[in-house]
Amino acid sequence: MIFVKRYLIPRLIAYFLVIWVGITVVFFIPRLTPNDPVMRMIGEMRARGANLEPGAMDGIISDLTEMYGLEGSWLDQYGAFWSRLVNGDFGVSFFQFPAPVNQLIGNALPWTLGLLLSTTAITWIIGNMVGGIAGYYTRRRWSRAMDAVAMVIRPLPYYIFAFALLLIFAYLVRWFPITGGASLGALPSFTWDYIRNVLWHSFLPAASLIVLGGTVTFQTMKLLVQNVNAESFVQYAKLGGVTEDRIVRKYIIRNAMLPQITGLALSFGQIFSGALITEIVFGYPGLGMLLYRAILNGDYNLIMGITILSIVGITTAILIVDLAYPLFDPRVRYV
Amino acid sequence: MAEKQQTILRTQNLQAFYVLEMQGAQKIVKAVNEVNLQVYENEIYGIAGESGCGKTTLLKTLFNEIAPPLRLIEGKLYYRINDAEVDVTGMSADEKRRLRMEYISYIPQGSMSVFNPVQRIRGTFQDFIGSHVSGKNREQVFELAHRRVLELGLPRNVLDTYPHQLSGGMRQRVTIALASVLNPRIMIGDEPTTALDVVVQRGVIQMLKEIQRSLKNTIIMVTHDMGVHANIADRIGIMYAGKIVEEGTTEQIFANPSHPYTQFLINSLPKFGDKSMRDSVPGSPPSLADVPKGCPFHPRCPHARDICRQQMPDLTRLNDDHKVACWLVGGQDG
Repeated sequence: MIFVKRYLIPRLIAYFLVIWVGITVVFFIPRLTPNDPVMRMIGEMRARGANLEPGAMDGIISDLTEMYGLEGSWLDQYGAFWSRLVNGDFGVSFFQFPAPVNQLIGNALPWTLGLLLSTTAITWIIGNMVGGIAGYYTRRRWSRAMDAVAMVIRPLPYYIFAFALLLIFAYLVRWFPITGGASLGALPSFTWDYIRNVLWHSFLPAASLIVLGGTVTFQTMKLLVQNVNAESFVQYAKLGGVTEDRIVRKYIIRNAMLPQITGLALSFGQIFSGALITEIVFGYPGLGMLLYRAILNGDYNLIMGITILSIVGITTAILIVDLAYPLFDPRVRYV
Repeated sequence: MAEKQQTILRTQNLQAFYVLEMQGAQKIVKAVNEVNLQVYENEIYGIAGESGCGKTTLLKTLFNEIAPPLRLIEGKLYYRINDAEVDVTGMSADEKRRLRMEYISYIPQGSMSVFNPVQRIRGTFQDFIGSHVSGKNREQVFELAHRRVLELGLPRNVLDTYPHQLSGGMRQRVTIALASVLNPRIMIGDEPTTALDVVVQRGVIQMLKEIQRSLKNTIIMVTHDMGVHANIADRIGIMYAGKIVEEGTTEQIFANPSHPYTQFLINSLPKFGDKSMRDSVPGSPPSLADVPKGCPFHPRCPHARDICRQQMPDLTRLNDDHKVACWLVGGQDG
């Protein structure tokens, strides 16, 4: 009971408060930008050569305003927005009118989830394993060599690294496709051909994420293990003649993992905003790409939809870490 | 004390230096320099000296834990194992590991971080014991661990606590329980009482003495606190700049300190009824990377003579057990 009152409830309150504040901020920020979606639509119609009389123009503006849910003061819009949101309705997209936001997100989400869930997991596992071993044998020559390689890769700006991969493996040697999540016209199905097609398309984006992300995980884990290895309790266990595999497993890895577990949960939370740059560089049809286009077009509803997903994702991940952490570290207590 | 005692640990001209490479230049820290020690069975041997004189490194070397940057330059280290003297410097890592806890154990300063923070004390006991004892015996040893914990005045549930839930004194007692649980022949303590307040200190000293008495083994203990040595040690070695400069029984050292450095150490102790200012040793200990030529104590010694600046004196025997390395003593200066 004390656990619920002193630990769970305060965290749940904070959880909902953060989500509310986040959503509210995201609601107002696009409305403060000079990008007016109604005028933009009018501009597009004009550009296509539509000749509008002033009276008709006013009619179109008021119709669009109504359809976009931009009527009334911001406060009115805010109230209407929440009443739609609690029903799980994010409204319609502006720039792909009249497709509902839910549908657009639904189309993009599997691509992002598929790419990021797998790369995040692979990055974490490989980075920690290799980093852990290299940190334990930090005096060995190969460990230093890996450190040197990591030092070179790590500071590369991601977009340059990704673009270089694309240039070399998709343009020059043409092993992989330049863009897309699957070949044009390939029908989604659970056939080996289709899965292979998707994997082939996702190889370069995944490789770019795993190599750069893995380097960061590698370096962090290596440092963590080096530090834990120098801790008195590890030295003492060695002086007590504790077997090496016990020391590595129960003393070093167990303690070095603690911050990495938090890191993993947080990166899972961040999945919902998509890998923005990855998806732009590789033309991958995920949430990041969708968000990018939504921002360019001032598509309030779509921006809201994706950002809310991201806010909920990250805060939920933090809540889970918070609740689960005492299981990993006894020094953190419920009360 | 009178009968001839069996040597349990012996060093011969032991030299262990830290060899550090810094920007291409080699820096040598002479932490243990030509140390000849002979420690007997069934005694408590104290090693005293200021901070930075090589005490802890000497302990590490005696414990046969020599890892880079510390290197054994010269000399031999013998343990008496099953009535045979064995040179342990050439042992493989696994042989060294097996000796620990069972033959020679280590008592660290029981600070916050000597136990794995994420496991209960019981887990630490299981790891330490399980690494040396297997099968049926393990149950018996756990039984013994339980009993030892109670004997040491620790609450029964201490095994179920996490390290951060224990006080400093309790943690120190747990380290002693752990060090003694496999009945080792030698126990090595590195300042085991230093972090404790005097009341707890007294309890811990008492405990060490009792364990030593019941196991009839040897304790080698380092501390800079001469008061602790007076209470616990049978014999004391005074260490200065990586060398043993005086050695004798506790009575000899306190009644007749013969090296000027020892005299300073002892005169700096407060005495009942004497409210005068205590003199401390002038100056500070030399860097072990740059030890003065001759007797390393000469820059701080009020009696320094020319020969002190030229040559290091050997340890000379004053009487039975009392040895000192000083030109003032023993008429060596001829």
